[in-house]
Amino acid sequence: MIQRPDLLDPYEVAQLGGIELVARAVVEGFLAGLHRSPFRGFSVEFAEHRPYQPGDELRYLDWKMLARSDRLFVKQYEEETNLRAMLVLDVSASMDWVGDSGRLSKLEYAKRLVAALSLIMLRQRDATGLIAYDDGVREVIRARARSRHWWTLMSKVNALTPGGGTAAEPALRKVTDLLRRRGLAILVSDLLFDRQLVLRTLQYLRHRGHQVMVFHIMDPGELDLEGPAEARFQDPETGVSMVARPRELRAAYGSTVRRTIETWRSACRGRGIDYHHVLTTTPFGYVLRRAAARRSRLG
Amino acid sequence: MISFLHPLALMALAAGAIPALLHLRSRRLPPVVVFPAIRYLTATEREHSRRLKLRNLLLLLLRTLVIVFLVLAAARPILRLASGRSHPPSAIVLVVDNSLSSGAVVQGRQMLQLIGDAAREALSQTNSGDHIWVVLADGIPQRVTRTEAARILDNLVPLPIRLDLGRAVRIAARTVADEALDGKRVVVFSDLQRSALTRGEVIDVPLLIPRIGKLAVNRWIDSTFSDPPLWSPSGTVATAVGGTDDRTTTVRLSVAGRVLDRTVAGSGDQVVLTGQLDGLGWAVASVELDPDELRADDVRFTALFSAQPAAATALSGAGEFVSEALQVLQGGGRATSGTDVVLGDRPIQGTVVLFPPADPASLGAINRALADLGVKIQYGELLEGEWQVAGDLGTVTGSAVFRRHRIIGPGTAFAAVANEPWLVRDGEVVLVGSRMEPEWTELPVSAAFVPFLDQLINQVAAHQRWIVDAAPGDVVTAPPSASEILGSNGASPIPGDHRLVAPLVPGVYFLRDAAGDTVGALELNPDVRESMLEPADDRTLRTHLGQGTRITSRQDLSRLMFVDDKRADLTWLFLWAALLTAVAEFALANSGRSGRQRP
Repeated sequence: MIQRPDLLDPYEVAQLGGIELVARAVVEGFLAGLHRSPFRGFSVEFAEHRPYQPGDELRYLDWKMLARSDRLFVKQYEEETNLRAMLVLDVSASMDWVGDSGRLSKLEYAKRLVAALSLIMLRQRDATGLIAYDDGVREVIRARARSRHWWTLMSKVNALTPGGGTAAEPALRKVTDLLRRRGLAILVSDLLFDRQLVLRTLQYLRHRGHQVMVFHIMDPGELDLEGPAEARFQDPETGVSMVARPRELRAAYGSTVRRTIETWRSACRGRGIDYHHVLTTTPFGYVLRRAAARRSRLG
Repeated sequence: MISFLHPLALMALAAGAIPALLHLRSRRLPPVVVFPAIRYLTATEREHSRRLKLRNLLLLLLRTLVIVFLVLAAARPILRLASGRSHPPSAIVLVVDNSLSSGAVVQGRQMLQLIGDAAREALSQTNSGDHIWVVLADGIPQRVTRTEAARILDNLVPLPIRLDLGRAVRIAARTVADEALDGKRVVVFSDLQRSALTRGEVIDVPLLIPRIGKLAVNRWIDSTFSDPPLWSPSGTVATAVGGTDDRTTTVRLSVAGRVLDRTVAGSGDQVVLTGQLDGLGWAVASVELDPDELRADDVRFTALFSAQPAAATALSGAGEFVSEALQVLQGGGRATSGTDVVLGDRPIQGTVVLFPPADPASLGAINRALADLGVKIQYGELLEGEWQVAGDLGTVTGSAVFRRHRIIGPGTAFAAVANEPWLVRDGEVVLVGSRMEPEWTELPVSAAFVPFLDQLINQVAAHQRWIVDAAPGDVVTAPPSASEILGSNGASPIPGDHRLVAPLVPGVYFLRDAAGDTVGALELNPDVRESMLEPADDRTLRTHLGQGTRITSRQDLSRLMFVDDKRADLTWLFLWAALLTAVAEFALANSGRSGRQRP
């Protein structure tokens, strides 16, 4: 039985090779299971044909070309009307944490997710860019629609290392500078920062007409409080620590985490933002499919 | 008030600090765990800090309580109560009076049955942890189990012996005094005769005495006296009748089932019963009253011996006092004239009683003459001083001696002075250490002199028989020549020291020498103090047995048996408390562990 990489355990998939290879394998698998393009754009003016690939919507199939040449082609539209997407990747120190050696760190997972997302969008001829941040903006790659642009993105993503603290607002403000027209902002982060501040910025993006997606990356080890009978828990970004007994706080902690996730979810829903809670053990295909399904519903 | 059976275990209460110490120790250097979601942890801690502190405090308290409860349970806590069945393990002595008086019939039942019922009820109040002793009329404490005690009580019979209740209670108190148990008590089950009480050392063990029944009206034979001791073959038996009522009763003198004489007497009367034996030798006589509530003291046994009085002569060397006393005996028929026994100061052939010579110069010749006769005993040096006579000759015991010769050589001593033989026989020669003159001894001028001379002639010199009067169970000294005692089960040997425990069945027991001749008789009759059924009042009881003596009614016995020690054993209560506390601790400790939920 052939395993689809997009449905395998992320850690196992990561063993296959570098980010690019993994992302391509994931995307291939992912697209093979779809009947139409997952992240279709807004443009209406025809630009060129490209060969049909599984997952493309049949409505974009060029039936005349099929009748003439008996070959499947999909119509592509003008670049200026294509979607412009900016991936905003959190590379703060908190992202470089893994609760178990058999898992990807949040950052490694996020890098592969970003790679897959960017590949999908570039294949749709959507202009895709990247902003990486920690306590400041670390990397900015403007959105391009060329297929080779993905390699540029990947070289930068590969070079990203975990940084210091977390400050998402400057990065998100940078998005408004880079997306002059309506576009798509995708925030990939563990969201360990001031929620209200970031939500205001995200809401500002929505006011500017952009669509916003948030991928809340979380290690399963963050869902439950585990550890020795008593331990000093230390924040890798700020160095702030506190002594706690996991056994005493476990239930309350779990409740706090679930409440936080629900708060994020409802806050995003109220602002028209796609929110996806993603565990680092979730196969990439599931995440992509869920995100695609949501986008389909939102139109 | 709570007390503990194992108070040393309370030292383990220090272990109650273990949870707190563990808590403090674990707080010292907790390991550092890098955790990016500390934001959630901080929020959680902020929201639940008060509840957590309270929970931790409760957990600490519960864990400490578990240890404290367990330690308290191990120390066996006891709560003393005003009522209840339980009591701490106690040392209990049941003094059960099955002496002769317990055979009296009271209100249609034998007193001993009432005593046994009360003792069984007291026994039922004991538990398996108690140490139990039973003291019966023999006064010997027996350490028994409850089962053994019950068996003893079920098989009680009145013994024809006297119980010295004061002595028995003191022995009982001493028995439990050294016991390490908390509760100690002596419970007396007796008819509480006044005559059974004696004073003694202070009793410092709680003493509980239930009053059981009422004492019966009783008559008894107080004493019998054969006169003369040597019947010829007729004689009399003087009998004193004791009692606590005014009714008269028939008094009968019988020998071998034949009534020799009878009369009527009331309590306190003395009567003389006459009789004549069929021939010479021994006879067993009984003096009997009409039956009353206490049958055991309605008959008294006496040994009669019929023989011709010895024919005696006093030589001049025996002294004036001896000659005159012999004349009295001959006048009274206790001796006749003749030379069966010669009293003098120089040895001759035949049975002779020698007194030291008045002239010390002749002492050597006397000793040589004794040696020529084959006699192994001789006179020794002359001693002066003041001593008292001791020995088996009751008539002279305690008389003062001022001058005496030592008596040297092996022989049978009948009396001693300063632990040296004073009256010794060897063969047919009897040596007396002192002359019968006032300068030598007070005997010649005392009332005991004629009876002494009677004994000396008719018993010591003429080999006539002894009669020993004792109570059943007494330790008696048999005559030197006696080697066995005849009982209903045949002959039993007499120990070499001539001391033997008298049988428990009243009657006359004959003593025989090695040649099979009867040399005496043992008259066993109950101690008359057992017949005196006058009850001791509370004051008398407390005077004799201690002011702390608790005297109660038969009905209150069970309630008062352990009234000072009624208690509730709290061990299980504390164990349950420890268990419940542990369960509460477990529940509280796990209250924060709910099933993992995924968002």
